[in-house]
Amino acid sequence: MNEVLKAVGNVFLKMPLGFVVTLRHFFKKPVTLDYPYKKKPMTPRYRGKHYLERYDDSTERCVCCGLCAAACPADAIYMEPEENEKGERRAKIYEINLLRCIFCGFCEEACPEEAIFLGQDYEFSDVNRNAFIYTKEEMLVKHPRKDNPFKRLYRRVRKVHGVTDKIS
Amino acid sequence: MAQETNEKAAATPVTMVTLTIDGQSVTVPKGKTVLEAARSVGIDIPTFCHHPKLKSVGSCRICYVEIEKMPKLQVSCATEAMDGMVVSTNSDQVKQGRRAVIEFILLNHPLDCPTCDKGGECDLQNLTFAHGTDDSRNDFQKTRFREDDMSTTFDDKSIGPEIVLNRNRCILCYKCVRSNKDAFGEYDLGVYERGNIAQIDSAPGEQVDNPFSGNLVEICPVGALTNRDWRYKIRVWLTETTPSVDNFQSSGSNITFSKERQKNKIYRVTSRPNDDIDDGWLPDITRYGYQIVNSPDRLKKPLIKKGGTQVEVSWDEALDTIAKRLANIKDSKGSVCIGGLAAPSLDNRSLYGFSKFFRKVLHSNNVDYRSDCRMLPSSSDTICSRLAMQPFSISDLDDSDVIVVFGSDLIREHHNEYLRMRKAFNFNGARLFSITPYAVKAADIAELEVVHRPGKEEFVLQAVCQAAVEDRLVDDQTAGRFREQVGNVDLTELCRSAGISTDSVKQIARALASGKKISFVVGEIVTRSREREPIAAAICNLNKLFGLHDKGQVAILARYANSKGAQKLGVVPVPHKMLVDKMNVLWSETPSCEAHNTDAMLALLKKEEIDSLFVLGANPMMVYPDLQFAREGLERADFLVACDLFETETTQLADVVLPLCSWAEYDGDYVNLEGRNQTARAAIKPIGESRTGFDIMAALAARFEASDLFEVDAIESEISQMLAIADTPALPQEYTQVRASEDKEKDGFDIPLYLCDDPHHSGHLTEKSPSLAEFSGEAYAEISFDLANRLKLRNGESVRVESPVGKIIIPVKISEILNTDVVLLPRNFSSTPTTALMMRKRRVDMVKLSKVDD
Amino acid sequence: MSFYSPVITNASEATSNEKLHLFKYVEDPQQHKSEIFESHGGYTAWRKVLGGMSTQQVIDEVKNSGLRGRGGAGFPTGMKWGFVPKNSPKPTYLCCNADESEPGTCKDRVLMERDPHGVIEGMAIAAYAIGCHIMFIYIRGEFNHCIERMEEAAREARERGHLGENIYGSGYDLEMIVHSGGGAYICGEETALLNSLEGERGMSRIRPPIPAIEGLYASPTIVNNVESLAAVPHIINRGADWYKALGTEKSTGTKLFSLSGHVKRPGNFEVELGFSLEKLIYDPEYGGGILDDKKLKGVIPGGASTPFLTPEMINVGLDYESLTTVGSMLGSGAVMVFHEGTCIVWIIKKLIHFFRHESCGKCTPCREGTGWLENMINRIEAGQGQPGDIEKIEEVCGNILGRTICPLGDAAVMPIQSAIKNWREEWQYHIDHGKCQVETDFSFR
Repeated sequence: MNEVLKAVGNVFLKMPLGFVVTLRHFFKKPVTLDYPYKKKPMTPRYRGKHYLERYDDSTERCVCCGLCAAACPADAIYMEPEENEKGERRAKIYEINLLRCIFCGFCEEACPEEAIFLGQDYEFSDVNRNAFIYTKEEMLVKHPRKDNPFKRLYRRVRKVHGVTDKIS
Repeated sequence: MAQETNEKAAATPVTMVTLTIDGQSVTVPKGKTVLEAARSVGIDIPTFCHHPKLKSVGSCRICYVEIEKMPKLQVSCATEAMDGMVVSTNSDQVKQGRRAVIEFILLNHPLDCPTCDKGGECDLQNLTFAHGTDDSRNDFQKTRFREDDMSTTFDDKSIGPEIVLNRNRCILCYKCVRSNKDAFGEYDLGVYERGNIAQIDSAPGEQVDNPFSGNLVEICPVGALTNRDWRYKIRVWLTETTPSVDNFQSSGSNITFSKERQKNKIYRVTSRPNDDIDDGWLPDITRYGYQIVNSPDRLKKPLIKKGGTQVEVSWDEALDTIAKRLANIKDSKGSVCIGGLAAPSLDNRSLYGFSKFFRKVLHSNNVDYRSDCRMLPSSSDTICSRLAMQPFSISDLDDSDVIVVFGSDLIREHHNEYLRMRKAFNFNGARLFSITPYAVKAADIAELEVVHRPGKEEFVLQAVCQAAVEDRLVDDQTAGRFREQVGNVDLTELCRSAGISTDSVKQIARALASGKKISFVVGEIVTRSREREPIAAAICNLNKLFGLHDKGQVAILARYANSKGAQKLGVVPVPHKMLVDKMNVLWSETPSCEAHNTDAMLALLKKEEIDSLFVLGANPMMVYPDLQFAREGLERADFLVACDLFETETTQLADVVLPLCSWAEYDGDYVNLEGRNQTARAAIKPIGESRTGFDIMAALAARFEASDLFEVDAIESEISQMLAIADTPALPQEYTQVRASEDKEKDGFDIPLYLCDDPHHSGHLTEKSPSLAEFSGEAYAEISFDLANRLKLRNGESVRVESPVGKIIIPVKISEILNTDVVLLPRNFSSTPTTALMMRKRRVDMVKLSKVDD
Repeated sequence: MSFYSPVITNASEATSNEKLHLFKYVEDPQQHKSEIFESHGGYTAWRKVLGGMSTQQVIDEVKNSGLRGRGGAGFPTGMKWGFVPKNSPKPTYLCCNADESEPGTCKDRVLMERDPHGVIEGMAIAAYAIGCHIMFIYIRGEFNHCIERMEEAAREARERGHLGENIYGSGYDLEMIVHSGGGAYICGEETALLNSLEGERGMSRIRPPIPAIEGLYASPTIVNNVESLAAVPHIINRGADWYKALGTEKSTGTKLFSLSGHVKRPGNFEVELGFSLEKLIYDPEYGGGILDDKKLKGVIPGGASTPFLTPEMINVGLDYESLTTVGSMLGSGAVMVFHEGTCIVWIIKKLIHFFRHESCGKCTPCREGTGWLENMINRIEAGQGQPGDIEKIEEVCGNILGRTICPLGDAAVMPIQSAIKNWREEWQYHIDHGKCQVETDFSFR
């Protein structure tokens, strides 16, 4: 008899007790997001899809020095330099193979011109492999600027040269 | 350096000094600097301004060392090693001194390494990492040389066709200015202003376009001087290097190719210093000539003439056609009706394969590599060829105290020897004499420059001999024998007909008699002359009279990258007897049929007695000194095969054209003018379907069922046996009477014409190099200022050059050097066939000039 | 008076001062003419030398006299001549260094303008002593009057047989070439002078080899200051012992001092070596005291390149040894006096501007260091100095001192070092307050 009562008690008392936990969460704010309708804000130092920065007068910052490619552990960056109309060094081809990229951010750290940054964008799936070869034009889009604390020395050097730089 | 030290020590007893560097005992010959002593035992002292081939100036001050008993830091590059010195290269004071120097240098350095082409191989980068600090204490605006835009470090400006200068980056080590002046004898680069705005720049109104300008870029320790060739192409750490040998010069400078790992493209040529050959200096031809390899105009597939036009075919079809036609001619008319011309810039294996294919497979003796010489003698054992086979050493020029340059414009023919001669003059005080039919650049440091009347070379030499006999500069017995065998000639008469003064002849005779080590260098003007035999005989007389051979060296310098190899492998119709003997041993037999050289082959082609000509890499249409004659010959050939890198005047006439590999595309050995066998490694894969000369010969041999003769290992061992023949044929032991014939005077044609190479070109291929084409631009005729004045010509105006056989219209270039009535025409421009003015039977071609009125 | 430059000297026209030798006749307006010079006993030493003295005798005489180079370094002249290798196959050259460009020095200029034949006679004797047949005088480019005078004098001397072929029938040939420089301070350094004379850029050469072994055109060359050479005829005429009796034991003879700055009577004065600096400044016969009777602030005793002396130190003899003991140098003998109304930072600013401008650009520490120092000192002077600037200046000075090819680097930093050492609080005041501690009086006369 006692066993029967116990079983009944379990069903009617302890089960609701368990549901209380669930019920409590029912009234809490949900931890999941309504992705893709809502998007999670990323941390400032998140390493997403790359973008290239420009100077205030809209010239490209990248001088195609090749340090990012040298630093890249996945060998994902390919570049070819050329002379621009003033004779300065600029990138003719600048490509990142996002399928190879491991988003380590070494390129960002290596860049002496503060030209390449890893942005906040992580949505770049595609059905075509070629679409993952990300070209210079695709990377030179407007993007919120990111401050990198590793670049202090470069900035001082530029200051001594008289280059005004709004990034810092 | 150690080797050099040993050699010098062996030659003259040198006192040695022993010093202690960082606790290590070092013994070096007296006179060496502390820096050299330290480097000889592997202790590294950083330097910017020191260059082993230049005098020390001690301007960068980074090579500080601390020497006991000296209160101040000393610069090791200018401090002579003394006995008992105690030197420290890494004490705290030294480290502090270096740090201070790096700080000073970086004070105004723009630190634009990301855009600088030197980044990755920059001395300043390396030494800053090794000895500098990680931060800068300078908070002032850096010195800028470009004043219109202070916000950029970009200050590149072209100071020459190939050189870009960035004055911000310059650390003023003065290496470029010093080498330009001391080593190359050029004054187109200088230092202007002073203090911290001192700057390197080209001389006012001038361009840095001397034939050695590429070296300035290579020795720049930072990226202040960069070249257009390498500018913004590739990062140095992405390249890999291949050791190779220069293919444009006979001295065989050692070079390094840089190519990108994954691409089949060469990016640049840098030097690979070899003190015996090049001292680390490369002429621009060598440095930029590699660009022909990457040229888009390269032939990529075989061509066969079908119905008047050349169409692309497969290799099999082309080779089958050649084999069929050659076999046909051989069977129907005999093998003597097939001839072959090879280029003396091909490697040993190609030349040997060529010779073996002709002699052993086709049984023809008609092979030659000398397509630029007129009126060759049928015999090969002539005095001239014996002179050409005499030993010669480039480094022996260094310590020669008398150097005579006879009939050679060194800066156009032998760049390395030209620099050696300057070195001998600048560093060892050698006395130089130049004997040429027109004034040459090398003569600016000559004690005496003798410009004789064109076509009178042997008179000058006879006059020198005669002067020595008359002035009793040689002992009586020798003089007596000379008198006896040559007879007495009137010295003033000789001098008058050669157009020189007796004093100058006597001066040369005195120098030759008193010189302790003499280098007598004979050049192109002799070898290309119709009367090369009498001139060579006169040289031999001189040699015998003064005993030059015992006191140094007498040699005709080989002209092309592998001329010496072709000579030693017997790629001539009648090789020297010792070579024939060896061939008989190696091949068990050699054909005994009649042998014809280039001249005879062309003449017989014209008479249709030879039906087929196989041209491997040569271009007789461009270089044979009688265009009309060459064209008539080649046009009448029944079957002409031409192999080349590019479409040339010769390939245009050919029935079958085969694409040839350049020297950068296969491993090959080349014998330089000293007889030194050097290997050039393949840097890249062959362009298109091109093949090496040897592969073509082997493939053809296979079609004649003789592929067993062309097995690579066997060929290699045969070549090494051929090259191992060390004997040099002796020069004549007796004096010979010199009898040269002269041209008949022809009215109206009064100005002698000389064909030469532009200092920035060599042969017919370098025109395809964009950088080299930039240096010299269009074809030109070089004349003296006086002559231009008389003709009322200004620089760049067109002049009509007429000879009895042809005429061309060409822009005129007024030379700063020429001072007699003579026309120099560079033969490197396909747009202007300069050989059209020449006649093969002439000793000196005479032309007349007239102004072209617009 | 037909003098080009109205410089005060301590010679007077009326009375010939027996103590004066170099300046004895400089106030005579006709002295530059050969006949007048000869009537004053000129060219007797040259005749005496050619009349029978051997080269070794001449060298020994000068060596015994104890004459030391008057250009700045103070190297014994006779000993220098002795370095010329005997029986060298190359020709030897004599070059008179008349590139007088040390700020504050104008003694050679007076000699060349007013007594050119005295210089030529000295040069000729020196040339004979070292066996040279072509001698040069390298005159600073800005000294147009000197160049004219020297050229005229050389022509005159040749016409009158003092120079040329077979001089006085002795069989000795001597030609003189007057060369005008481009006006670069660095060309006062002997190797740079030789480079400039050869037609190269005026940059000093590295030593060894010293010019006496390998100098002009890689031949043995002796470079001497105008004043040293001008003293030689007097030594030959009166003997080494007479000369030795003048001055102190180690610094013999008389020396010309160019007194300038805040004194009442700036000018050139010939005094015996060892003469008191205090007396030179205050004695009415010489300087006559400080301008406006202000207090003395400091003295540069030997041209812009020597360290400062403070008022406590000026009771010192003007000779090579005594000045070294108080931490300065005799240099070229240009005594510059500053009174209390002078800002030390301002003086240094002017000096470093000069040295930055005159640095030849050859070796790194001097080329870059002087530019950096000028920037820092300008900033301090303008009142924008940063804390730590003085220490930075001191450290940069230390990195230049003794580490350059020629003494220009040392010359640039030694006054700075001594100025900071002696007046540090004034520098600090500049940085802390952004202005000068002293009321600067710019009324130079």
